Amino acid sequence: MFLDPESKWAPRLNLFLFLMPALTIYIVFAIYPTFSVVEYSFTDWDGISPKRNFVGLANYERLFTDKIFWAAFRNTFVWSGVIIVINVGLGLVIAAMLARVWKARLLIQTCIVLPVVISPMAVATIWRWMYQPTGVINQVLEGIGLGGLATPWLGSPGAVLYALALAHSWSTIGLSVVIFLAGLQAVDENLYEAAHVDGANAFQSFRYVTLPALRPVTAVVFILTLTQSFKVFDIVWATTQGGPVRFSEILSTYMYKRGALEKQYGYGSAIGVALLVIVSLATVIYMQIQSKEDR
Amino acid sequence: MGRWLLLFVLGVIAILMVSPLILTVFTSFKPTTELVNPPWAPPVSLTFEHYVRVWTEAGFSRYFFNTLVISAVDAVVMIVIASLAAYAMVFMEFRGKLVLRVLFLIGLMIPVTAIVLPLFQIVRGFGLLNTHLGVIFADLALALSVFVFVFSSYFVGVPKELHEAARIDGATEFQIYRRVVMPIAVPAVVTTALLEFLWSWNDLLLRLLLLTRDEMRTLSVGLLNFQGTMTRDVTGLSSGTVIMAIPVVLLFLFFQRHFVRGMTAGAVK
Repeated sequence: MFLDPESKWAPRLNLFLFLMPALTIYIVFAIYPTFSVVEYSFTDWDGISPKRNFVGLANYERLFTDKIFWAAFRNTFVWSGVIIVINVGLGLVIAAMLARVWKARLLIQTCIVLPVVISPMAVATIWRWMYQPTGVINQVLEGIGLGGLATPWLGSPGAVLYALALAHSWSTIGLSVVIFLAGLQAVDENLYEAAHVDGANAFQSFRYVTLPALRPVTAVVFILTLTQSFKVFDIVWATTQGGPVRFSEILSTYMYKRGALEKQYGYGSAIGVALLVIVSLATVIYMQIQSKEDR
Repeated sequence: MGRWLLLFVLGVIAILMVSPLILTVFTSFKPTTELVNPPWAPPVSLTFEHYVRVWTEAGFSRYFFNTLVISAVDAVVMIVIASLAAYAMVFMEFRGKLVLRVLFLIGLMIPVTAIVLPLFQIVRGFGLLNTHLGVIFADLALALSVFVFVFSSYFVGVPKELHEAARIDGATEFQIYRRVVMPIAVPAVVTTALLEFLWSWNDLLLRLLLLTRDEMRTLSVGLLNFQGTMTRDVTGLSSGTVIMAIPVVLLFLFFQRHFVRGMTAGAVK
């Protein structure tokens, strides 16, 4: 019997069989490349030739003086900031409203969450079309007498990053709403009862009961939105590729251009490491908050 | 009165949220002559011509099939390997368990975008560039941690007595996994299947890097290229978008509860 439970070797063999499929794939295709990207970042490799030279910190020195990198760095933070304001702020407000409604609640929730499952590539196509100079956004603006605001959104240096952030928020805010809703359902009903007895109006009970009770959930949504928006590549690449000029360049698109397209593997990897460090830090904070929650 | 105002505001938000999708569907069914009408005008006479054109001439039938194969294999294999690993992590005692747990935690932190350059090299090294297998391995590795934790959180809830009883009855580990533990973790199986299928279906970056031959491409890459070459083909782009969105939208509508629970599981506990 190969798997005889009585055998002395059975526990080890079992462990091997249960863990090996997952672990092999995981180490080869996730853990190893994570170390590799750090290693590449200390070399001048072009991604093709068999030879690569160790260049020390040269790529990182270049990073610090690279104006485009800093533009992408700044853009990534602005991009995340806008998305956080929308997904956390508006997400909370929508969830709080939704929690007070019974009629048509599922229908409304479905409409708000539906865009979450749409591929970023499809989101890009839809919004590129809507943002065209003669597209539906500008047509609506003209229709309601705000024609002065109409602009070629994705071609405008001042608007492009915000326009794309809005499109991304459209496709992700449903997730925040759902998480906030789950948090709201955990708020003790008696607290609202007490606030009502004390003569609090709807706004006051939101301000003094809902908000404090939701603080941990808000932190979760905040960090989750932050890490997810830092990782974004698809929607920016599929709409502007970082353009016009560099006005919507973010870290991931810049890394892709330098590394994958221009074959500067060493330098592209240094950008990748920067991204890795930022996202890891945010994730560690996120998990800390969560484990505090669990206790 | 307040209630009705609330309902009205939420109604407006809901309509704004779905309108980009509805406008896209409208456009995809419009004869070219009706494109002069505003985007919010429904098509007067429906035509399937754009769908037929995109499906046959632009290669979307092949992209669709490729995407379906990759996503389905991803989902099924993920269920198997993640649940097996989670079973070992929860029910088996061994040295180095803590190290392994940390290793899986690291996986939750790695942003795919940051490691695509070496990942490309590894896939190329195995000779798996332009194969679906290469994409599948990468997908599985990069999402594995999430689902190991999804399964673990269910397995932890299995009563120890149940597990012990099965062991005393002489059941092998695999029999316990198969007959005792997995039936209890059905919700985790559903969550894993749905989320992994969805992520796989929607991804662009990995497929852009790893699949360069047209006959291997997925919908995401196909749509990107179509957009690049046929920039002005609004109706074609709309129907391509709808083709890409329909399967996941249907899945979502049928399994909304599971989706919502899966998406919030990691976030709120």
